[in-house]
Amino acid sequence: MAATRVNRRVGRILAMAGKEVLHIRRDIRTLYLALAMPVLMLVLFGFGISFDVDHLELVVVDQDRTDLSRELVRQVTASQEFVVVQDGTSPDEALGALRRGAATGVFLINKGFAEDVKRGGAQVQLLVDGSDGNTATQALAKAQALVEMAGRNLGGPVRVTAPPLEARVRTLFNPDARSAMFLVPGLAAYLLAIVAVLITALTVAREWERGSMEQLFATPVGRLEIVVGKLLPYLGIGLLQVLLVLTVGAWVFDVPVRGSLLALGLGSFLFLVGMLGQGLLISVVTRNQVVATQVATITSVLPSMLLSGFIFPIENLPPPLKLISTLIPARYFVATLRGVLLRGNGLDVLWPQLVALALFAALVLAVATRRFQRRLD
Amino acid sequence: MTPAIEVHHLTRRFGTFTAVDDVSFEVGAGEIFGYLGANGAGKSTTIRMLCGLLKPTGGGARVAGFDVGQEPERVKAGIGYMSQKFSLYLDLSVRANLEFFASAYGAHGRELKTRIGEMVERMQLGAVQDEVTGALPGGMQQRVALASAVLHRPRIVFLDEPTAGVDPVQRRSFWELIRDLASRGTTVFVTTHYMDEAENCARIGIMVDGKLVALDTPEGLKRTHAPGRVLEVRGPRLSPALDSLRGMAGVLDVSRFGSGATVRVDPERLSAETLADWLRARGVDPLELEDSAPTLDDVFLALTARAQRGED
Repeated sequence: MAATRVNRRVGRILAMAGKEVLHIRRDIRTLYLALAMPVLMLVLFGFGISFDVDHLELVVVDQDRTDLSRELVRQVTASQEFVVVQDGTSPDEALGALRRGAATGVFLINKGFAEDVKRGGAQVQLLVDGSDGNTATQALAKAQALVEMAGRNLGGPVRVTAPPLEARVRTLFNPDARSAMFLVPGLAAYLLAIVAVLITALTVAREWERGSMEQLFATPVGRLEIVVGKLLPYLGIGLLQVLLVLTVGAWVFDVPVRGSLLALGLGSFLFLVGMLGQGLLISVVTRNQVVATQVATITSVLPSMLLSGFIFPIENLPPPLKLISTLIPARYFVATLRGVLLRGNGLDVLWPQLVALALFAALVLAVATRRFQRRLD
Repeated sequence: MTPAIEVHHLTRRFGTFTAVDDVSFEVGAGEIFGYLGANGAGKSTTIRMLCGLLKPTGGGARVAGFDVGQEPERVKAGIGYMSQKFSLYLDLSVRANLEFFASAYGAHGRELKTRIGEMVERMQLGAVQDEVTGALPGGMQQRVALASAVLHRPRIVFLDEPTAGVDPVQRRSFWELIRDLASRGTTVFVTTHYMDEAENCARIGIMVDGKLVALDTPEGLKRTHAPGRVLEVRGPRLSPALDSLRGMAGVLDVSRFGSGATVRVDPERLSAETLADWLRARGVDPLELEDSAPTLDDVFLALTARAQRGED
């Protein structure tokens, strides 16, 4: 008896899911768009938006004017990561150039630099325009690495015992600091959030608008069966998108998959369920396609882009936004993806992220199903 | 035999507004029961409560043997419902709609195929079954909706304004399908605001402002609420004459339609000849005067007029 009841339940869920697949097939362009958009955006973002810093305009103020100081400047600028746009001015003039935006950095070598190197400890100054935080951080790191290297070369012939310049920066996991490596995980989360929340919110709201939801409520199909059956096909599409994004990431941008596939699959599944649940909740509350679209955009697309660590590092967010970001599932999914793809993490490291994703999914689905009364009042 | 639908003091309030006010009636198995009323009279709210879609705020009802407030899920399994708002999936084919609703009610495999085949034949949908539902004319769509509502062979089917916006020819053939359903033992509960359609019902309940103000067979309703003789009159300068006719002794009701009017008179107090002379004297000449039977329109107008007077 229990078995037939389960069978009937599964039958009704499959009926719902099958109907949804037919809707998707009827409107096949939406599916194409859902699958093509991630690839297109990945390519656009990957090639177009680059956070990589190159050809930074530098004003050099060399007050030492020795062979050693000139050699340092030559070595620092040799790789073309820094380009000298002005030379030999006073510190005040150099700062003026920085303020006008004519340069992004000032490289200041004080008088007595060569003496200091010979004595075994020299300092140079790099003043960076901090109004673009990302550029400033990268410029600083690069300068430190270059100066350290140059210092070792310079120190050689003059037999400097201790490293003449203190700077130890090494970038692990993404040694070239390539944007694509860092973008693909964030982009995957962002695109999944759009498709999952928006499409679910729209399709469920459409049933309210057209009155077919009322017809559905008059049948013995239970609310959990409606919810599961309706979300199942979109879960499939979402997982397909994950695969697509990762494949394109690997082929076009050499983003590896170093860690646990189980953690990757589990994370994607939990994140998608949470996003689908959020879309459902929005449609249950709004029951209107236009309002649902707006609410979905505000509550999923924007936070998934801005508060997930996709573009802005979470550590750099102001405290109130940082607090809000803990409620954004994309944050945990981005962390999971970066962990699996770049750091080679497994479940042992990533389980807290997965637990957070599971909690969000369970919570939002519970609230949505609860609000999804099969009565019209 | 227990009635298919038993309604006791059924009430539904939305805030301070009472949509359905203390309604009681019974519908026998296999009966075609008509539920009449103007828009907003509480017809759809009643149907939604009887289908387990809306919880009553007072009173109760048993449908197909189950209480609609306590066991709505069991009620749902035993009934078919065709809602007023068009509720098929218009982007899907006729067959896909039928298949979905059949499987939503638990049919599968060979049984599903047999039932759909049977229904396609009965509703004459064979030629259009692969068409997209939204591309079909209104009358055809209504038939698909009816087919979806009765695929699972429910004991009772609720039809909420099934023929709204459908042309008269299609409406007539739709009613043949309804009569066919009833002849096979299905109880049909149907709301409409087309009075001519209501003549097809075995019994009719009339709703005015949430209250069930009359319940009887069409003939019984006419006898009770539109007694007397109905005369159709036509002629020039009719309007001013009709105005002074109202309130004349023996005139029960005057209502205009098209270029003419119907005058319902008490034959004891006013003969057709007297009325004809009176109208001619007021310039309605040449006058055409014909005997006609009271219709449900007369009943409905009389009842709504009475309710309005009662409120004043």
